[in-house]
Amino acid sequence: MHVPLALRLTALTLLLRPMGPWTVRPLILLCAGVALLSPRALLRPLTWYTLAALIALRIAADWPVPDNHIYLLAYWCLAAALALGAGNGVGSHDGERHDSRPHYERVIATSGRLLIGSAFLLAVLWKAALSTDYLDGRFFRVTWLTDDRFSDTVQLLGGLSQPQLDHNRDVLKALPEGAELLHPPALEEPRAFLRLVLVSTWGMLVVESLIAATFLLPLGPRLSVVRHPLLLAFCVVTYAIAPVAGFGWLLLTMGVALCRREQRALRATYVATWFLVLLYSEVPWASLAIGWLGGSSG
Amino acid sequence: MWLPTALLFAVAVSQIVLAMFANLSPWKGGGFGMFATTDGTAYRFIRLIVDAPGRSEELSVPAALDEAALRAQLFPADYFLRQLARAVADREQRQGRPVSSVRVEAWRIVYDGVPLRGTEQRLRTFTLHLSPPLEPPHE
Repeated sequence: MHVPLALRLTALTLLLRPMGPWTVRPLILLCAGVALLSPRALLRPLTWYTLAALIALRIAADWPVPDNHIYLLAYWCLAAALALGAGNGVGSHDGERHDSRPHYERVIATSGRLLIGSAFLLAVLWKAALSTDYLDGRFFRVTWLTDDRFSDTVQLLGGLSQPQLDHNRDVLKALPEGAELLHPPALEEPRAFLRLVLVSTWGMLVVESLIAATFLLPLGPRLSVVRHPLLLAFCVVTYAIAPVAGFGWLLLTMGVALCRREQRALRATYVATWFLVLLYSEVPWASLAIGWLGGSSG
Repeated sequence: MWLPTALLFAVAVSQIVLAMFANLSPWKGGGFGMFATTDGTAYRFIRLIVDAPGRSEELSVPAALDEAALRAQLFPADYFLRQLARAVADREQRQGRPVSSVRVEAWRIVYDGVPLRGTEQRLRTFTLHLSPPLEPPHE
């Protein structure tokens, strides 16, 4: 029953993060609501073709503003529609010789695996080859220091005080093109902050590379089990900090679709992590921790 | 089974081409370049300069045009720059101010050097000339 669960989680994701202009948004909400409430609609290809088309319309209407996970959501809905339309015959697929799952479950699992692996492969390509400011740590140095959304986290994990953060933001204020300061001030970067930059830069790249490899390479049943802990660990860590719960939910939803019927504990872990990401998005945990540490040290 | 993944790669290849050769922000467009570079929404901005006889003024982006400005800063192609310039000209005219041209500049902040510092870098400029110049509506 993991595919219906994955589809319900997809519908829930659509309802929790309404998207698009008014011409598309009500229809997406309506379709997702019907899918969530009606078991028949949930397993009808038409529901997912419609959702894929509506999300594609949303992307076109708002282009280039939509985030990458909206594209992934559209591909995932299309994958669900194609899988549900593929029927229920039993046979082998995806290298699983004794896989007794219905055909549509195997098709959707393979699609989910390929989509996750491809998204991570491209993320790695950008970080390792196409970007000019990632590998030398500049991206995380600048982002940790200047992005308001990470202020609490960088104080908590980077050992920076609010005055240091304010000073660094002043230092990083952009100069007009061609301008030079006679005595440019330096950033205040404590050791803990530099460690945070190093760990986030290389940790992200290594974990994303491993996820891309384990989801895309034809690993045997023994090696393929490492996929799930990697994806779960990535979601537990990344979405505690990155404010894109929708991306986390989608990855975890596809992870649920990958579980075989007998993998109940794994499926439950995915669902628990899905709700953990929901909590991350609603509870300002880093700010609470700073307050708590400040209170306990004072 | 392969169609969604094939679509993903088709879109991603287009995104990479646009990001490399047409200034599309790597964070956008379906190529999964988010969290890979500082060249994202927060480090790009738009400047609007309105000219008319006896007037040359830089405007801040009005809230009503936030969406159009966001598109132009994320992908400063002629189409989005012209759309924004047109919307600015229309708005100026509605508010009774003369306008003969609107210049839209898309900028990004590049972080580089030792010590690290940010420098503004112009990505593209687009000027919309209005002929004849739009005059404020007469009562």
